[in-house]
Amino acid sequence: MVSKAEWHLPRSLEELPVSNPRYIGKPVRKVEAPPLLTGKAQFVDDLDLPGMLHCAILRSPYGHARIKRIDVSAALELPGVVAVVTGQDMQQWVRPLGGIPSGWGTHCLAVDKARFVGEPIAAVAAVDRHTAEDALDLIEVEFEPLPAVVNALEAKEEGAPLLYEDKGTNVMFHRLFTWGDVDRAFQEADHVLTEQFRWHRLGANPIETFGVIAQWDPVENAVTCWGSFQAPSFSAMGIAGALGLPLSKVKLVPMAHGGSFGGKGNPRGALIAAVLSRKAGGRPVKWIEDRLEYLMAGGGQAWERFYEASIAVKNDGTILGIRIKLVDDIGASGENSGAISAIKPLAAFTGCYAIPAAQYEVTMVATNKNPQSAYRGMGPPAHYVVLEQIVDMAARHLGLDPAEIRRRNFIPPDRFPYTIPSGNEYDSGNYPALLDRLMEMSGYRELRRQQEQLRREGRLVGLGLVSAVEPGAFNMNVYTILGVPAGTAVPEGATVALDPFGSVRVTVGFALEGQGQYTFVTQLMADYFCVSPEQVKVTCTDTLSAPVHFGPGGSRLAVALTGAVLGAAETLRRKLETAASYLLGCQPGEVELMDGMLRVKGQPERKMSWQEVVGAMSARPDLFPPGTDLSTQATYVWVPPDRNMPDEQGRAKSYLTAAAACHLALVEVDPETGKVDVLKYWVVDDCGTRLNPATVAGMTQGGVAQGIGAALMEEYVYDADGQLLTTTFMDYLLPTIYEVPPVESAEMVTPSPFTPLGVKGMGEGPMISAPAAVICAVNDALAPLGVRVTDVPASPARVWKAIAQARGQR
Amino acid sequence: MSGKHTIRLTVNGRQYEAEAEPRVTLVDFLRHQLGLTGTHVGCEHGVCGACTVIVNGRAVRSCLMLAVQADGAEVITIEGLSEDGRLHPIQEAFAEAHGLQCGFCTPGFVMSAYELLTREREVDEEAIKEVLGGVLCRCTGYKAIYESVRLAARKMGKLPA
Repeated sequence: MVSKAEWHLPRSLEELPVSNPRYIGKPVRKVEAPPLLTGKAQFVDDLDLPGMLHCAILRSPYGHARIKRIDVSAALELPGVVAVVTGQDMQQWVRPLGGIPSGWGTHCLAVDKARFVGEPIAAVAAVDRHTAEDALDLIEVEFEPLPAVVNALEAKEEGAPLLYEDKGTNVMFHRLFTWGDVDRAFQEADHVLTEQFRWHRLGANPIETFGVIAQWDPVENAVTCWGSFQAPSFSAMGIAGALGLPLSKVKLVPMAHGGSFGGKGNPRGALIAAVLSRKAGGRPVKWIEDRLEYLMAGGGQAWERFYEASIAVKNDGTILGIRIKLVDDIGASGENSGAISAIKPLAAFTGCYAIPAAQYEVTMVATNKNPQSAYRGMGPPAHYVVLEQIVDMAARHLGLDPAEIRRRNFIPPDRFPYTIPSGNEYDSGNYPALLDRLMEMSGYRELRRQQEQLRREGRLVGLGLVSAVEPGAFNMNVYTILGVPAGTAVPEGATVALDPFGSVRVTVGFALEGQGQYTFVTQLMADYFCVSPEQVKVTCTDTLSAPVHFGPGGSRLAVALTGAVLGAAETLRRKLETAASYLLGCQPGEVELMDGMLRVKGQPERKMSWQEVVGAMSARPDLFPPGTDLSTQATYVWVPPDRNMPDEQGRAKSYLTAAAACHLALVEVDPETGKVDVLKYWVVDDCGTRLNPATVAGMTQGGVAQGIGAALMEEYVYDADGQLLTTTFMDYLLPTIYEVPPVESAEMVTPSPFTPLGVKGMGEGPMISAPAAVICAVNDALAPLGVRVTDVPASPARVWKAIAQARGQR
Repeated sequence: MSGKHTIRLTVNGRQYEAEAEPRVTLVDFLRHQLGLTGTHVGCEHGVCGACTVIVNGRAVRSCLMLAVQADGAEVITIEGLSEDGRLHPIQEAFAEAHGLQCGFCTPGFVMSAYELLTREREVDEEAIKEVLGGVLCRCTGYKAIYESVRLAARKMGKLPA
């Protein structure tokens, strides 16, 4: 027997019990594709339950208003209406949502006050959606409009209208983190550069909105929800907490969902549907958010930031320190997880650079806008737009090429594992090699020469070269800073079951979402047990029966799920080896699994297939000594190892992996219209061992597309009263094929020493780097005019204004 | 608003007859009255293209068309492309070229490509791009979708190899 201390998960593909892996690490086709391509995959709105009712939600037309009276009597009389709920019902049956920062939650239907346009006020369950929406027109609400506050800089000042009078302030959180001797760094610098930046609101906008069907069980006092849940077990905790139920009474059934990117976490819909179902005597209630609702009040708004940033550099380009001040407009409450986005940069605050000292001042402010949610990258995309721009500013000031200043400041490859000033540890990396590869692949020097030529012709062509670290395999520990009452780990579990006919069945707790996780599990298990992919089946189950899990988020599943399925497979391997030793007549420890066979070490002719061993374990207990573990199923729950709690400056080992990438964007600005075209785009990335290179390539291209949208197009615009002006896809602009060039990409592999198979999380990385690359390129294009765009997105209007300003000056 | 109309139409070669209020959109009718849930609803205002189906040979946003307008029409949806699990060459190409991630918008892209590749004798890359330019995808960044449709066009003999 292998002792516990010696036991570890395979650290590389070579350590798997297979001589020639046929599937893992290869661009295998997605097992998820056929049902999605034929219309057979079941999304929540495809589900139709017997007796099901449909919910519609009445929403606040005001950014800030007191609710003086609600009369639902006429709505209840409309034929087909079965139940109506208001904030009063919620006070009776539902606790306020928890809120991050803690203490800033609110009710799922407004009580007394509405705090943003679109906030749910009342809801109806009726026999169909049309009838439910008709009933909304019959609900009478008397509002007393209050002054709204929509600018975070104004909202944080004394005398601003208060969203929560009892708090006495709109400031939700304020903290100054200081790492290293920042004052000295700034004193000793040859140059200090400071600039203000503005990142406007944007968000996830998956093509499927959120949807849920809730069914109350009045006998068991329990609830079942089918829905497009990204992190079902965490959503279940939130729903259980709000409904005052133990987790054992909350069953979430995650359905295949049409993208998420963090933008489906708003808990209100499930709670509203659950209470309506309770009022309707337990009939299931379906609520499907429409696009207007999603844009206005769904989980689709993130990061709205005012930044002031300074960089301290020496004449040779060495960066001594950075200071970043952030005012983050969280919106009307902390009901979503948006506030986490302002703290996540701690995990990679200084990027790829060996910057010894840094300071971060964070102020989170409540305003009359949709509460911020999560979005792919969770904060670092905006942070890197700032960091990479101040690095570029320093380069320009010193007359250095952007590539050169980065090279001079990269963390040297021999310094890993490397602890950054803000406390997180980077597992591994080789940043100079990434940069070299990018410059070679793109012909960077030649591009610069061409740029010079085009500039002489009066064309505004720019190159944006950035490098960034993507914190992966996320952890909750650092978010205790915000009062998140979670432990220090985010677990992922899987169950693997073997049968004598050669099938490998894997059970997980999260549904299809697009990242191809079922495919890499299939690849991995097919190789591990030497069967065909058709013999592997990955199934998602509900939160009551699934192994402990979190699901996708924070660039974690490639790492965490690999850990979970390998942990289960390794447990099975040890059981099989022990059982086979009795069948082969040798000592436990003398048998090993290799290429699907249990064989006696050193005597390869003495062997049997694992299928035969499983058959014997299932049917012939008499062949084994009493006490032998004959179960042919194993569950393993992987947790990130070696994590700790943050110290007084927020320093902790938080995210386990540090994938890295260098991006290069080539853009051209039309001086007449201010429109920016991204002409070419290059990425070199290192996410450790690649489980399926085609999946990584797809995530890269898709993340760059979202980054281009963020940098140039996407913005939620509110007027001074808190009215949202961007309520359709004609106003909130998503990139089309015409805005996104094909990305030319190359890979480098520096395996993580800390993770199973050396895998690193990479799902968010392209979105983390791309906005910075595009914005740096735009400002490189504008550099000859002596102006800069400091607002993101760099919309045609903003770019045009900057150009006009330059022309006015001349 | 009230009062139901009887709608008779052919979907994927099969005749249907069902009742609907005049305000019911074609996509809701297909999904919830006929149970053909493969067509998806993304924005309900005609921008995203996820709900694209073929009506009388032309690609249509079924969220912008009322069910009553489809009375007597011949409709093809994503469910009509594969036969007994055998993928249509367009679907096959999307599987081969990794042309989808979450798959929610995919029926819209596949049906848009279907119209192009069944209507035209020959297509070029600009024509493909133009058709795909009308559908939104939030996952893929379009490159693999474009490659998928090029591959499908070659499989169907519409684009030189």
